[in-house]
Amino acid sequence: MKYTILIVEDEESLRGAIVDVLRFKNFIPLEAKNGKEGVEIALSKHPDLILLDLVMPVMDGMTAFKKIREDAWGAKVPVIILTNLSATNEQLVDDMVTHKPMHYLIKSDWKIHDVMYKIEEVLKIT
Amino acid sequence: MKLNYFFLTILMLLCLWIPFDKANALEVDTVQTEAEVHTNSASLVSKVAPGEFLPLSVKLLNFGSQNRVDVDVSYEILNKKGERVHFIKETVAVETTASFVKTIQIPFDVSPGEYTAKTYISYQGQLVPAVSSFPFKVERKIAGFFQSDFIYYLGFTLFISILTLIFGHTLMKHYRKNRLSPIDYSDIPHDLRIFYEILSDTIMEMRERVGDDAISIATKIDGLKIDKDTGRVLELSSSPAKIIATLVSEYEKLLGKKVSFSLRPEKKDL
Repeated sequence: MKYTILIVEDEESLRGAIVDVLRFKNFIPLEAKNGKEGVEIALSKHPDLILLDLVMPVMDGMTAFKKIREDAWGAKVPVIILTNLSATNEQLVDDMVTHKPMHYLIKSDWKIHDVMYKIEEVLKIT
Repeated sequence: MKLNYFFLTILMLLCLWIPFDKANALEVDTVQTEAEVHTNSASLVSKVAPGEFLPLSVKLLNFGSQNRVDVDVSYEILNKKGERVHFIKETVAVETTASFVKTIQIPFDVSPGEYTAKTYISYQGQLVPAVSSFPFKVERKIAGFFQSDFIYYLGFTLFISILTLIFGHTLMKHYRKNRLSPIDYSDIPHDLRIFYEILSDTIMEMRERVGDDAISIATKIDGLKIDKDTGRVLELSSSPAKIIATLVSEYEKLLGKKVSFSLRPEKKDL
């Protein structure tokens, strides 16, 4: 079975690199360059997992996350936050606890292959 | 010089590097009248390496003379075939008794094997021969140990090392498993449990990365009470989200970089 992964990331080079590795790993990647696109694709395509950046133009990742969680399907889809935003803000932590991503990963701390491992772990492929 | 009474005993002790009084003892009795030689040897086996010194304790006694007698003492090392591989001769002056320790250097070129150290004396007017001998082994050394002992010690050391490694590995695994096993907070009300879990897992992960500093930082966070040994979150007395944000902030200061965290998969309450 091929899993579909939605990457919501405004940084094109990073998004492209993740897409390439996902393809190599036999996933079906879907791309969105901001939160608005991310919500639209998520709710229409129902991917198996969403990789979500927080700081993005048009619509930020947290707003997109909340909108996805409002949907019956979206309430349960596993989400991995991949950001450079530090979780040192009380409101951000509260939002995380409310909407429950699987992981809150700091981009600079994670290599793409480690992120892939986390994706596989969440999808119980490993 | 005529000797009316003759009794000779040669005691040879092979000492090597162990205390002399604990070494092998060999006793030679030569009875004057029948000129017999009796040799008693302890059952211990002596070993020496090529080039090392073989110490012999020699005791000559009961010459029965009032005057000094010049006695030639000969030492020879014979191989298993009875061939002489080393020979030394010296003269000692004896009145009635003489005791001394003689060290014989085993030649460097002797082959490992079984040898005999033979000692005999001769003097003017000698009536009966007096000879003493005892067997010993020549064995090469490796790193200061005799070859046979070295293999034994090496085997023993390897065994102990492997045992220590296995034990250490098991202990570390157990220790790490205990330290890294997520702490169960099923007794905490559902709405608060996720905060306990995030805090607990973050403390545990940081403890793995920076050691017990992670615990001491956590104990200084306002509103957070933890067990200093296990890192278990005991009580949250202010906004849980604020506590997490402050803890993450403190850890980021300690690490000099941002901190990731994970949330546990949600379990349904029974």
